[in-house]
Amino acid sequence: MSPAAVIARPALGRDLRDVLAELLKLQHIIGGLVVAPDGLVIAADLPREIQAEPLAALVATVGRELERRGPRLRRGAFPTAQFASVSGAAAFIGSTPVGFIVLLGGPRADYDTIRAALREAVGAVYRAWAG
Amino acid sequence: MFRRAQHLRDEARYKRAALVVEDALLQDPTSVVGHLLAASLHMVLRETGQARASFERVLALEPTQPRALLGLARVALEEGDAAACLELLTRALTRYPDFQEARALLEVARGLVATADAKRTVASNGAIHADRLRLPAESLEALFMRADATVLFAEPHGPRTNAVAGSAVKLATVATAMLAGAGLGPLRHAVIEGVADTTYLRADDAALLTVSFDRDLKSATAVEHLKRVWDRCRSEFA
Repeated sequence: MSPAAVIARPALGRDLRDVLAELLKLQHIIGGLVVAPDGLVIAADLPREIQAEPLAALVATVGRELERRGPRLRRGAFPTAQFASVSGAAAFIGSTPVGFIVLLGGPRADYDTIRAALREAVGAVYRAWAG
Repeated sequence: MFRRAQHLRDEARYKRAALVVEDALLQDPTSVVGHLLAASLHMVLRETGQARASFERVLALEPTQPRALLGLARVALEEGDAAACLELLTRALTRYPDFQEARALLEVARGLVATADAKRTVASNGAIHADRLRLPAESLEALFMRADATVLFAEPHGPRTNAVAGSAVKLATVATAMLAGAGLGPLRHAVIEGVADTTYLRADDAALLTVSFDRDLKSATAVEHLKRVWDRCRSEFA
């Protein structure tokens, strides 16, 4: 990719750390991270008791599984997914060409609001990194 | 040149980094660092076959390289070979017992191998009619299975039904591990948005249900449908 192409990219969504920082402002989000598809951590802001690297390895595995099996668990890309536990706390994953964005929400988190915000962020990253 | 490639990788300029590594490896074809970086970039670019070849080159040069063992284990898991994944992770952990990423995936691989073993001993009791479960009219696809991926109900039922059930169980297994890693507790339900449709998943220790709807269906409606179908499935197969 030429430097000109890099400069021409839309600024919004280019820096994944900024994208994560914005999403972490959502209500009842307790942490988040951005993981490259090979499982390496790009950015993380997690509660102290959660280890980023092992979680990233699992996030990348979930993300790749979703990418490979896709909608209706069959094929194609997925924009976002949400996995909720017995307690109501949930992990939200967004898939982008650069990596997977993950948000951890507490039991009082508004699932629809978070998924909508994540979808928007995923779209911004796609536009910023297209080509 | 490898340092430059690493710098490009850190900036998420993966394609450019891959080209730089490729050039560098022509000059230094026995570089473990180079092949490892190439493998990592192939994974990032979703080029699984090429990633596997690069990881194998690393292991030919350094047989216990932990990142290459982990990478190959992830490739095996992606390709549905949980037993190979387990073997590679065990090799990595034998040499490096504190390798946390490998340990996290080891539990997943163990779970999937155990599931596959259990399935061989459990016979499916066959499909039941959709009208008994009263699937909602908006349902595009519904699948109810035991935790070992034995299909109990599928609508529609087709040649790929068992493979899709296996994928669903695998996804639930990895997602459960991910939630545990995040300190959130066992998986109970999931929402997977696709381009045209959305899949809702409900699970407990014994069974798993997936129902897909057009993505325009309101989330609250879909969740209500899922709960009703889940309750009927659980009582039908209790």
